[in-house]
Amino acid sequence: MTEDLDIKLIKYMQDGLPLTKTPYKDIADGLGMTEDAVIERLKVLLENGKIRRLAASIAHRKIGINSNAMTVWKVPSERVEECGPIMAAFEEVTHCYERPTFPGWEYNVFTMIHGYTDEECENVIESIKQKTGLDDYVMLYSEREFKKVGVRI
Amino acid sequence: MALSETDKKILQRLQTNLPLTHRPFLDLAKELELDEDLIIDRVKSMIEEKYVRRLAPIINTQAVGNSATLAAMQVPEDRIEDVAEVINGYSGVSHNYLRKGKNRELPLNIWFTMSAPSQEKLEENIKEIETRTGFDVRMLPTTKKFKIGVKFKIY
Repeated sequence: MTEDLDIKLIKYMQDGLPLTKTPYKDIADGLGMTEDAVIERLKVLLENGKIRRLAASIAHRKIGINSNAMTVWKVPSERVEECGPIMAAFEEVTHCYERPTFPGWEYNVFTMIHGYTDEECENVIESIKQKTGLDDYVMLYSEREFKKVGVRI
Repeated sequence: MALSETDKKILQRLQTNLPLTHRPFLDLAKELELDEDLIIDRVKSMIEEKYVRRLAPIINTQAVGNSATLAAMQVPEDRIEDVAEVINGYSGVSHNYLRKGKNRELPLNIWFTMSAPSQEKLEENIKEIETRTGFDVRMLPTTKKFKIGVKFKIY
């Protein structure tokens, strides 16, 4: 029951908050809920991680953050636990994941790095190299953006 | 419309959680020492001008039951456009980029993320892309997550 309500709430909100002085009240009115209930559900969803954040999705390329280096690293499996958090600690690293390898593809840790310039991204990469001692990596810069939309349910 | 220093200040703050209060923009105004009406007005403008894609819950699709993966393809130059278009056609595809290695050359050049209501459906869509384009799709799901937190330094 609560789950259905949560999905209903997320779906109602996912295209954007009403830009009014009392957005949660307006959402509540639209859904036949109380404002307190809407705020309560949102708190729970943020706490349990179903909603990562209730915030703005910024068109980063439009504001000049055009350098996007998806940097893939070959990390010895026994060092992944150690190196992942070191890479993740950098502010410019927005995503850091371990992914599978297969014959011909040995890069197992992926870091997504954004910057205003390539130089910015590469400074971060140099710092990661220094802190981890890793040297086997490829910087995969984005050349074209075919599609970029927010996740929706 | 160029962004003013005030706009940038608002934008920077908007990247983290909005207050969950009766008057969230008023609370933001107090935080930023700006006016509530100004904040609402600037947010509207920034959305209209597409600096902000949306002000909304950022959903963790896996937490709501979906399966997702990063995927990569090796596509010759003359087929890139139409392959990209095929991939874009799936509503579960949120990111789709052409990438190139800077310090080393790598053959995988089209990279996309896809989400679906189940692992089965995800794999079905991927197989469909393979059939429709004639190229293999390499799935690279997350085996361990160290960080997901998109936050830009806006200046």
